[in-house]
Amino acid sequence: MRLRIRFSKMGKVRFVGHRDVARIVERALRRCGVPITYSQGFSPRARMSFGLALPTCYESEAEYLDVPLDPDSIVDGQIACTGWGQGKLHNPQQMQAALSEALPTGFDVVALTVEPKGGRSLQETVVSCGWKFDILGAVTQEVEEAIERALASSEIETERKKKNELVRENIRYGVYDLRMDGESERGPIVVAELSAKPRVIRPSELVDVLAPGAEMGIARRTHQWIEHDGQRQEPLMLSKSLQLKEYS
Amino acid sequence: MEKPARYIGCEDGASTDIYKPDATSWLLTYPDTYEIGLPNQGLQILYELLNERHDAFAERSYAPWTDMEAQMRSNDLPLFSVDTHRPAAEFDILAFNLSAELVYTNVLNCIDLAGLAVRASERHDGDPLIGAGGHCAYNPEPLADFIDFFVMGDGEEVIAEITTTVGEWRKSGKPSGSRENVLRALGQIAGVYVPSMYEATYDGAKLTGVQPKHPDVPTSVQKRTVADLADWPYPRNQLVPLTEVVHDRLNVEIFRGCTRGCRFCQAGMITRPVRERPASQVREMISKGLERTGYDEVSLTSLSTADFSNIEEVVTDTIEEPGTCGRVSVALPSLRVDAFTVGVAAQVSRARRTGLTFAPEAGSWRMRQIINKLITEEDLYEAVRSAYSQGWHRMKLYFLTGLPSEMDEDTLAIADLAENCVAIGQQYTKKASVTVSLGGFVPKPHTPFQWFGQNEPAELRRKVDLLRERLRRNKRVHLKWHSPEATTAEGITSRGDRRIGPVIEHVWRQGGTFQEWSEHFDLRLWEEAMSASELDIEWYVDRHRDENEVLPWDHIHAGLHKDFLWQDWQDALAGFGLEDCRWTPCYDCGACTEYGIEHVVASPVPPNGGSQGTGQDLTTGHVVPVDLRPRAAVRGT
Ligand code: SF4
Repeated sequence: MRLRIRFSKMGKVRFVGHRDVARIVERALRRCGVPITYSQGFSPRARMSFGLALPTCYESEAEYLDVPLDPDSIVDGQIACTGWGQGKLHNPQQMQAALSEALPTGFDVVALTVEPKGGRSLQETVVSCGWKFDILGAVTQEVEEAIERALASSEIETERKKKNELVRENIRYGVYDLRMDGESERGPIVVAELSAKPRVIRPSELVDVLAPGAEMGIARRTHQWIEHDGQRQEPLMLSKSLQLKEYS
Repeated sequence: MEKPARYIGCEDGASTDIYKPDATSWLLTYPDTYEIGLPNQGLQILYELLNERHDAFAERSYAPWTDMEAQMRSNDLPLFSVDTHRPAAEFDILAFNLSAELVYTNVLNCIDLAGLAVRASERHDGDPLIGAGGHCAYNPEPLADFIDFFVMGDGEEVIAEITTTVGEWRKSGKPSGSRENVLRALGQIAGVYVPSMYEATYDGAKLTGVQPKHPDVPTSVQKRTVADLADWPYPRNQLVPLTEVVHDRLNVEIFRGCTRGCRFCQAGMITRPVRERPASQVREMISKGLERTGYDEVSLTSLSTADFSNIEEVVTDTIEEPGTCGRVSVALPSLRVDAFTVGVAAQVSRARRTGLTFAPEAGSWRMRQIINKLITEEDLYEAVRSAYSQGWHRMKLYFLTGLPSEMDEDTLAIADLAENCVAIGQQYTKKASVTVSLGGFVPKPHTPFQWFGQNEPAELRRKVDLLRERLRRNKRVHLKWHSPEATTAEGITSRGDRRIGPVIEHVWRQGGTFQEWSEHFDLRLWEEAMSASELDIEWYVDRHRDENEVLPWDHIHAGLHKDFLWQDWQDALAGFGLEDCRWTPCYDCGACTEYGIEHVVASPVPPNGGSQGTGQDLTTGHVVPVDLRPRAAVRGT
């Protein structure tokens, strides 16, 4: 069995890099006594596998993590904790609350299930990501027009650095959705769904297309989509009643 | 920008909502990067103690890396706290932790980034007071122009008195002319040194004294020492950073002070006497700390961890703590080889093996007698054998070069030791290797070697090359060395007087920050600065001092009598060792006798490996043969 965890990363902790997030999560798992498993070898590490890495400085409502559990630790769908949680029996909701509490401010576990192990890894199955970002000081009207032009065209040419080399690429194939979603105090807000295959297209690549010369404000990943039996879905859906906590 | 998480705070254990409008506010600043500064235990202890008070609060700041500094300067952003991002100039006190001399230019840079004049004499009445403490404060003179007050010794108690005095100044509204008064009042607190209340006098190049300007200012400043660590179980809530830092694990201080008496070691001299934390408190701090933080590694910190009376039991209990599921690794930094036994090795290796470092410090027995690091070659081999037999593949050996009376055969003996260690390792594993880390020796104030003239960089370089050549063909011994040039800058600042102030300022003004970082260190800046001040590097760094010379830190007392240190220097040159006074009679060095305190140790007998200088055979366990010359006889010669 494994835990599948969806967590958010908001506010100042957006500056924490992906590798550091893994260390933070590992500490929280231990604090809660999650019956994690370890790799073999000279220097064993806790087993965990994350979804697609989130670039540093991005917020997220949809970070995913699979944690293989010691099979003996599941009793009637409840998790028998070990270590610092020894003696506790948590159902998934209780485990979700405990992990949220153990994570630093800015991180919250927003969904959690206990499910059988197996299948392809999160990293392999995610096909696209949903994003929301604002553009510093850009003019809404102009961004709107730029979006229309981009969607009407068969080419969205972007530039990005790859090993100190500028690579030009047409990313139209990977822009599934692109639209305005109001304004923040920093500038117009754009919502996009961008392909994660063969590579993850980042919202920052679009900024130059939508508002040449402008800078991206705060960006947030809102979804990671997988395909299951030809259906697009998220690895874990949020319950309708859940209010995501915002942090500054 | 690199590593933006350095600037966000948000650590578990950080005090949020700590702003108390009527309280004395401290900004505790570590003048190096966040990754280096965050784990600093001294800073964390004071942070927590101040935030527990109703009349004070503390936030933290670290030197912004050069990319961040450029951003801050171009956007007119001042130095800020990571806790609440409040500007530094809004605090009553900016307190720096000085753990190395090469950070001095960063101190100036932080003061400047705070928007304050770097020179104390040019700051205004309402400006924050700039304080400094930590090991380097024991020679405050090079920073005398920039720092308003220094604190000598343990900070736990004295911060209360400073808070009260500064609190009164704060309540008065800091009117014109009040700065002088608050400084004068601070100067009367035991352990506090206010350099502007003192005047340095010279006779040509020679310093003739540092005297108080006013009758109510003490002629000598005595350090503060907390008598019993059991009263101070701090930090209770160690900060858990969101981004990786050095020593990123639970750190529990198991004792303070060391009386092994290594003559090069300033930390050992100035932190005497030994004060052990009760084993039960250590256990509690470990298990509570691991549970609170989720760390799976704990480091038992001290200047010589294996000397702790109950070390094996504490390590065993930690590993067997049920909450850790047997997955905790225990790091024992500062291990003396003569106390690292198979037992300790076996315990430590039960979970994940951490890196292992031993510090024989010198290659030959003759040299180790001179520095009073009296571990025999057999001690080292036994420890190394313990480690390899318990599954380690590599270890690090720490050495100094440029020690008093060191000859090439002493330097080359380092290679012999390292090669013999590898040979022992190869009996256990084909992968055995050893890393030799070589530092250039810089004599430090308040040590018996404070009179010794440091080796010039060219000489240090030659010694490094000697070893490189000797070890060139041995693929299993890796040699690493510190920049000989950086030791010169360290030498200028470590034993400098007030005339070095303008030198530090010059280097800083030329952009010389982060001098501890090899990519930023530049000896030419220091050479230029010295000649701009018409000062001679040779005079400050390479010159031997004589017994009667007035030393710039003579008015600062770590308890150690100057004649004790001088005698120990003479003993060093004669090759006499000195036993550890923890388990043998007192020599009256002054550290206890001056202040009416004593060692606090749980065990009346030395750990395995014996007392300093016995060179005892490890197989005989606790027997401690004493064959040193008695102290009195040495004094008579
Ligand atoms: S005063 Fe005596 S017992 Fe105390 S540290 Fe000095 S020599 Fe040791």
